[in-house]
Amino acid sequence: MLSLTIDFARRFARNRAALVGFALVILVIGVALAAPWLFPRNPLRIVGKPEIWPFVSSRYPLGTDSLGRDIAAMIAYGARTTLLIGVCASLTATIIGISVGATAAYFGGWVDELLMRFTELFQTIPNLIFVLTIVAILGQKIEYVTIAVGIVTWTPIARLTRAEFMSLRDREFVQACRAMGMGNLRIMFGEILPNALPPVIVLSSLVIAGAVLFESAVSFLGLGDPNVSSWGRLIGDGRTLIRSSWYICAVPGLAIMLTVLALNLVGDGLNDALNPKLRDR
Amino acid sequence: MSRFSRRDFLLTTAGVVLASRLGSSAALAATPKRGGTLIGTWGGFEPQSLFVPAGGGSSPYFTSTKVVERLLRLTVDLKFEPVLALSVTPAPDFRSYTIKLRDKVTWHDGKPFSADDVVFNAMEYWKPISAGVSLVTLEAAEAVDPLTVVLKFKAPVPEFFLKSVLSGKAGLVIPKHIYAGSNIITNPINNTPIGTGPFKVKEWVRGSHVEYARNESYWNPGLPYLDKLVIRWWRDPASRSAAFEAGQLDIGTFNPIPYPEIARLTAGGKFIAETKGYANSAWIATVEFNQRREIFKKREVRQALMMAIDREFISETIFFGRAKPSVGVVHNSNSIFFTKDVQAYPFDVKKAASMLDAAGYPVKGGSRFKLSLVSAGWFEENVKMGQYVKQAFEDLDITVDLAVPDRATSLKRIYTDYDYDVAISNNTGGVELVPTTTQYYTTDGIVKGAAFRNATGYSNPELDKIVASMTVETDEPKRIALAKEFDRLATSEAPILPMVDLEPVTIVRSDVRDHSKTADFMGESWAELWLDR
Repeated sequence: MLSLTIDFARRFARNRAALVGFALVILVIGVALAAPWLFPRNPLRIVGKPEIWPFVSSRYPLGTDSLGRDIAAMIAYGARTTLLIGVCASLTATIIGISVGATAAYFGGWVDELLMRFTELFQTIPNLIFVLTIVAILGQKIEYVTIAVGIVTWTPIARLTRAEFMSLRDREFVQACRAMGMGNLRIMFGEILPNALPPVIVLSSLVIAGAVLFESAVSFLGLGDPNVSSWGRLIGDGRTLIRSSWYICAVPGLAIMLTVLALNLVGDGLNDALNPKLRDR
Repeated sequence: MSRFSRRDFLLTTAGVVLASRLGSSAALAATPKRGGTLIGTWGGFEPQSLFVPAGGGSSPYFTSTKVVERLLRLTVDLKFEPVLALSVTPAPDFRSYTIKLRDKVTWHDGKPFSADDVVFNAMEYWKPISAGVSLVTLEAAEAVDPLTVVLKFKAPVPEFFLKSVLSGKAGLVIPKHIYAGSNIITNPINNTPIGTGPFKVKEWVRGSHVEYARNESYWNPGLPYLDKLVIRWWRDPASRSAAFEAGQLDIGTFNPIPYPEIARLTAGGKFIAETKGYANSAWIATVEFNQRREIFKKREVRQALMMAIDREFISETIFFGRAKPSVGVVHNSNSIFFTKDVQAYPFDVKKAASMLDAAGYPVKGGSRFKLSLVSAGWFEENVKMGQYVKQAFEDLDITVDLAVPDRATSLKRIYTDYDYDVAISNNTGGVELVPTTTQYYTTDGIVKGAAFRNATGYSNPELDKIVASMTVETDEPKRIALAKEFDRLATSEAPILPMVDLEPVTIVRSDVRDHSKTADFMGESWAELWLDR
């Protein structure tokens, strides 16, 4: 097991860009975890004069927004919101996607037809509009945004899982399991899934990046939870000041860009590490 | 060809008048010039229809008033001026009014305008559709002769009140020969309205703009000065600001651009920020306490929460100085009914805290109580106000759950479902307080589902009585005294109070002249606007 992990780490590290991405992700996670210690007060509190530029005041290293709230504090707490929504939405999407994809491929026939048409139904609705609709119906709560993002992003995972399952379900080891009298669920999730998982994990890591973008878009449009700090909301609030105090949009924009880029790089690295054969090809 | 010769004729006449009247060159510069195209917009979106007979908000009001006129108009210094009516005179008992109409006025389709049109409007349009409760006592309208109409009422009607209705949003005069026998609200002509105004609808390109052509046979000869008027819509304040700078926009009413952009745009002298012209559509930002909640039935709690809000901060930081802390219920620009003699709510967190302690809501386990705060998401400033007020209440150790829903959900939560503890909303009222302003406080304003009415559920027989007297008091000084009494009572009761009085801004190119001369400039015909180019 240990040698396997080391092997995995070595393959991951061979991709330099992935290492940079990994370092950035660790940094974002670190900031998110350290937020309550770095900024002990409520990040949405008005603490100073509005529109103090970054690097001007030592109390507010990243400046203040149009209301006089500390941008550094909002970025740090925003990292928590963003990562929480990203990871939870990705988990939701992965669980739905794997369940639907695995069931469709394993049972085939009319179950497959039905589930795939159902998946296509979701794929035909424009993602962002679907997210906005769900949030508008359910309400502006962080949980609902997470669910909404999860609901619109599971379809590629379902299709990928299905494809993997299709290629594995008639292999000899599966037939051996059947011959041994294993139950369907045990074969699906105990035997086939571990073999189908690597590409799905790669895709799930990319879904996190997508979820971060969705959350930012929802908050930018003012439909996010106003009780928590969010990068997208900060950009939305600063939009009217873009001609005079552009840093209010630029700082969280940079945070979103770096995080999404880092997550994509990590996804690439995972791809290399989990599918080594694909890489050498 | 005849069009050109006519224009030449008008120009020559203008020249002769000018030469005979004026000598100095300074006065010459102020003489209106004919011609040119003006492109205007407002700080909102395209209307659902160019004319919405039942109201429909500011957008259709803006597009229809260039075409459809009223009997009177209200100037910046709050005097009534004749438009289609030459005079509106009350009988000694104030139960009937005689309206003398302007002669030789024609509709855009060439048919003459007459007393029959006004009778039709009074009985078929204003009373049942546009004016609502304002004209409930209107009993009959009679055409005495082609240019005289008498309006008869069941009860005495104050002069200022009636003239406000006639010059207000509800008093548009529509042609009888077009609308008689049809459903006024759904008549397709509302997309290309016909009126007596200085401009005719030429073309409405949906999603982009509406173009108006000059009404060559307008009753006021020489007017309008413009050849063409275009109202164009932008979806975003920042893009309006860019359009101004690119020379694609001449005038924008009602906060067309982001507040922080105003200083930058007006700095060069090419653009002016004008605050006049909004007295009859005065906007406020309100905080409303839902009386259906046990906590807010106590007046002390409402007053304490008012004192916890630093309204200076809202004016300066959220509205960039384009708002003033409200004094009472009446907007400070209302020079007739405004009074300073009302209960004040200075920003005082300590006093607010002690008032809450005394009212039986001490801090227990870190929190006095929990409340839901709904800030109506139709203005960007409301988002910030919601966040600020949440913090202000949290400073009193109140747990606050903030929501900033979109427009439709906000209307539903505040005015239909009453699903809020404290709401932040906006409204606009005219100089006349009855019924628009008073309906936020009176019992008859509680109408489930009716937007911008009494959503708090506040009911006080004493206040209802004052407002009832205001609707029938015809002696002007006594009526003003009643209005101030209403203001005092409503302000000290505080079921819903304005936090700040907004000061909307018109952004206009400096070579556009004679704008913002009426109490509701956005809803004026713009016949007198001219371009000094």
